[in-house]
Amino acid sequence: MLVLTRKLGESIAIDDHIKIVVVQIKGKQVRLGIKAPKETKIHREEVYQAIQDQNTEASQADMKSISDLSDELNKK
Amino acid sequence: MKVNTTRFGELEVEKKDIITFKEGLLGFEKLTKFFIVDPGDQTLILWFQSIDDAATAFPIIEPKIFLPDYSVRLLPAELASLDLEGLNDASIYTILTIPEVVTEMSANLKAPIIINNKTKLARQIVLQDSKLEVKHKMYVNLKKYISTFTSDDTARTKNKLSEATVVEPAEAQNIALDDNDNKAVKSPEA
Repeated sequence: MLVLTRKLGESIAIDDHIKIVVVQIKGKQVRLGIKAPKETKIHREEVYQAIQDQNTEASQADMKSISDLSDELNKK
Repeated sequence: MKVNTTRFGELEVEKKDIITFKEGLLGFEKLTKFFIVDPGDQTLILWFQSIDDAATAFPIIEPKIFLPDYSVRLLPAELASLDLEGLNDASIYTILTIPEVVTEMSANLKAPIIINNKTKLARQIVLQDSKLEVKHKMYVNLKKYISTFTSDDTARTKNKLSEATVVEPAEAQNIALDDNDNKAVKSPEA
């Protein structure tokens, strides 16, 4: 991994179209500004982690889950 | 071809029904070939079954069933990655998580599976809309839909699991649409 040191207000350019700026530094938090083309997807890493966890949990379902669900849905 | 599955036994799958991912689902990147199994039960839940791994299958559902105004907006690059020009030629499914307390079931609205109906190319796409939840609770709405629309639909509930059939996503969609149509004008058999 490439590691760079930046000061407040300084930025990093990735390719020709992506720019990441250090907008604010407050204690342990850093605010970043990201300038990128519209088609670039930007998400916090946790979003991907949450989806990955959700996929794993979903794949645990078996036929019993469905019959339990079916029973519950049939209750008046 | 015959495909062995842990949940449904051995199933016959036609080549044209095989759904291909260039990159697999998040966390399941190695599994790139799937097909859809419709067990025909009244829950309206389908399964996204892996061909590469018999034990891996995801319960899926059409989000319109429990959330009629769910809309998916894709970036041009995302459409292009699926060889799509728009979503008219696509099927959209959300993955369901069914915990032990089934009423706590949830759908992943943030990252639906989008399938190109013609080429069967698919992707799990993480949508930009920050209001969409990864764990959207939807049991109540599913129950509402089923009790309103399918309580008299004996044709569906008659199917037993042993008769598990493989359907194309397009067909699966038609079933749901037909249900809607029937109910709008009242089921003819009712």
